[in-house]
Amino acid sequence: MDNQQPILDGIDPEITERLVSRRDAIRRGASMSSRLAAGLAMGSVPVALAALARDTFAQTPADILDVLRFAFILENLENEFYRAVLGTSAVAAQNNAFAPVRALIPDAAKQTFQQIQKHEQQHVDFLKAVIPQFGGTPVTITAADFDFTGGNGAGNGPFARATTELDFLLLATQAFEDTGVRAYKGQAGRLLINGNNNADIALESALRIHSVEARHAAKIRRIRRQRNPGDATLRFSGYVRGGARAAGGAGNIANPPAAVLAALDLIYGGATPESNTQHVVFNGTSAVTIDAATLTGLDVIDASERQAAATQAFDEPLTKEEVIAIVRDFIRDDPARGLP
Amino acid sequence: MSEKDRGRGEPMVVASAGELMFPATRRGFIRTLMAGGSVMLLPSVFTACSDDDDDNPLGPGNLPDPVTGVSFDLRSDVGIFRLVHLNEQLEAAFYTAVVGSGAFGGFSTDERELFIDLRNTEIIHREFVRTALGSQAVPDIRGSIDLNVLNQVLSSRTSILNLSRAFENLGVAALNGAGKYLQDARNLLLAGKFASVEARHAAALRDVAPPPGINANTAFAGDDIIDGTGRDVKVEAGVALQLVASTGLLRANTLANPAITAAPTAAQGVATADFFPANP
Repeated sequence: MDNQQPILDGIDPEITERLVSRRDAIRRGASMSSRLAAGLAMGSVPVALAALARDTFAQTPADILDVLRFAFILENLENEFYRAVLGTSAVAAQNNAFAPVRALIPDAAKQTFQQIQKHEQQHVDFLKAVIPQFGGTPVTITAADFDFTGGNGAGNGPFARATTELDFLLLATQAFEDTGVRAYKGQAGRLLINGNNNADIALESALRIHSVEARHAAKIRRIRRQRNPGDATLRFSGYVRGGARAAGGAGNIANPPAAVLAALDLIYGGATPESNTQHVVFNGTSAVTIDAATLTGLDVIDASERQAAATQAFDEPLTKEEVIAIVRDFIRDDPARGLP
Repeated sequence: MSEKDRGRGEPMVVASAGELMFPATRRGFIRTLMAGGSVMLLPSVFTACSDDDDDNPLGPGNLPDPVTGVSFDLRSDVGIFRLVHLNEQLEAAFYTAVVGSGAFGGFSTDERELFIDLRNTEIIHREFVRTALGSQAVPDIRGSIDLNVLNQVLSSRTSILNLSRAFENLGVAALNGAGKYLQDARNLLLAGKFASVEARHAAALRDVAPPPGINANTAFAGDDIIDGTGRDVKVEAGVALQLVASTGLLRANTLANPAITAAPTAAQGVATADFFPANP
């Protein structure tokens, strides 16, 4: 597309009075988004959106919209999962499926689940409100679109035991949350358009949701640790230790299905697995790869612990394709609606 | 030396950098300079390590001399990672001191594992960023830590937990606020790798020691730190530095005034409203 092609913005009457080049439009976002930022800071989607309606230009970078749509599907998946677990899903069959395990959830953990579900609902609402402002239409998703057993609609997938066993449920929950953390981390770069303030706000919001998901994941891991005090993979700190299935910490699950272990390999593995200790930094001149496990100055850390500590100190991204491979069997196929 | 000994026109002799930390010496230093006098810094100022290591709570080796006037130019990714480096240095030094403190023996087994994990992670972060920044790295600030304040914090479990919790939530907020200014996607990814780990810390510490009035089962991501749109804490760099300074851990003149010599440009991004509670 020609960057110099003039555009007209049909939303803000002030803007229709001028012609701006597309490149200028992207830069111009900078001067407009303080209202949007203020609205978001107040935690008010309507206020933020009123600002966005004026701030948004007709053409927004396709990457941003794609990321937001992708996040919207993932947040719906998480939200509907928790609603089913808590018995608040709009689809009775989902509530019924989780009734056995629901009865096993201690009150303290139930409060934790409720808090997490509240955030997922907020993320869904936030994205649903923001997507149209970037020129998109949020896909209509309901609880009926999901199969939390990982059976792609059959209802008898490898995670079926999460509906009847508490430890299994907690493992699945941790896996969902860590997938979310890794998904957002992998997408952040696609939201990076310096000087475009709508992109900035999308990026900052994604980062702030990303760290909330990390808090969730850490909390679930700690609950699991308290139920399994001997399992040092389940760090009290909530860190992810090592990579692939070992990082999932399925040691307390009796006879875990091979398909679940294979899923954990994807969730904690990938092209940049959680066990990775080599990270790239661009210093302004060149990209340098640094191995966090063999740095100088680590003397305080017991030598036998350095490798594991280095894996814990960095969380790793998943690509969009990797995330889709993980979640696809939890979502009933519907390519027409963009559901994988 | 005392102020009395120094007549006008006579060079002021400063034997060690530590001497500059005494207010009387500092006043004399500035007065002498303003009067057009000369100041002689003995070679020991440049080479000395001011403390012996035996009772150094901040890590192995001698404490370096205090550093002063640390400043940040945030118009580049390097500048932003220097800010990260300052935070990581402080956190690493603090957790090293916590693990070596008398109070640590009173922590539960789980809590000891938590703090050793925290220490290890922050040391790795510190060394990683230092390596990445090379000559641009923030100097070793351990010598600039106010040992009176540190020892006061280390004297009680509660104050250790409170400061740790503040540090980690601040770490999350600072990274969440800084990401939009980064210009290279690889550096943004790296910041993200730090940020979620800091969020895991923050959640753990809020579990162990929820702020007053916060439900222990929801404190890990409580309503005081997650806003109504489900988004985590966030501060701009200036506020992050103020919050660091407000811990009192760094001697007053460690950071330049102002510490930020150049804010991010509009081409990098524009500041957004902060979201950070008084007691995170």
